[in-house]
Amino acid sequence: MEMVAAPAGSGAPREEEGPGGEAAAALPQAPTSGPGARLSRLPLARVKALVKADPDVMLAEQEAIFILEQAAELFVETIARDAYCCAQQGKRKTLQRRDLDDAIEAVDEFAFLEGTLD
Amino acid sequence: MAERPEDLNLPNAVITRIIKEALPDGVNISKEARSAISRAASVFVLYATSCANNFAMKGKRKTLNASDVLSAMEEMEFQRFITPLKEALEAYRREQKGKKEASEQKKKDKDKKTDSEEQDRSRDEDNDEDEERIEEEQNEEDEVDN
Repeated sequence: MEMVAAPAGSGAPREEEGPGGEAAAALPQAPTSGPGARLSRLPLARVKALVKADPDVMLAEQEAIFILEQAAELFVETIARDAYCCAQQGKRKTLQRRDLDDAIEAVDEFAFLEGTLD
Repeated sequence: MAERPEDLNLPNAVITRIIKEALPDGVNISKEARSAISRAASVFVLYATSCANNFAMKGKRKTLNASDVLSAMEEMEFQRFITPLKEALEAYRREQKGKKEASEQKKKDKDKKTDSEEQDRSRDEDNDEDEERIEEEQNEEDEVDN
């Protein structure tokens, strides 16, 4: 994957879109503490790094980063639970890697993960 | 500095905590499974970003916003995420609004205080007006000419 540093932090014009516009896109220091962060378990800075890794993405509002973080949490919960169903069928109390693979194969929404975890 | 895909992972401790809280008590997770879930979460974010960006581009916008991400969830068939995400967004906006109002109030209070200090100084030292002004410009951001 080609990594291109998004121009966001280097004097790019601030976008004004949306209600979160005041904090748009120069992607300033993402709140890793303080308001907003209270709702996030994953550090927003790391999520921001993932977003910036996409060469097609120029700018992103802080709100978008936050929502992505929340979605990632929901995703982790969902896939963990689905994988656990597989483990239960094996009557085990420890989730193994194969439970995850089984869940990815069984659940349509996880199809995008195929071939990405190896 | 370019980052490699492997560097774009999420903190293990937090991932583990989210997993454990989602599962019943007494259920464990192997290191391999946890690591795979962590990678899956990174892939999820990358995929969601790409999807959301398509919506932004469709709307001829250069900035990804929250509704692009919500549209991406729909597209990715994670509709069940949409309601909780909307609720989280509302709570986040309320917090941000509160924070902004608090800092604007602080700035107003600070400016009031600074203005009255400046008026006292220029009354006392008319001789060194030029020097004073330079000093003022250096110190104050939104200086109003006296």
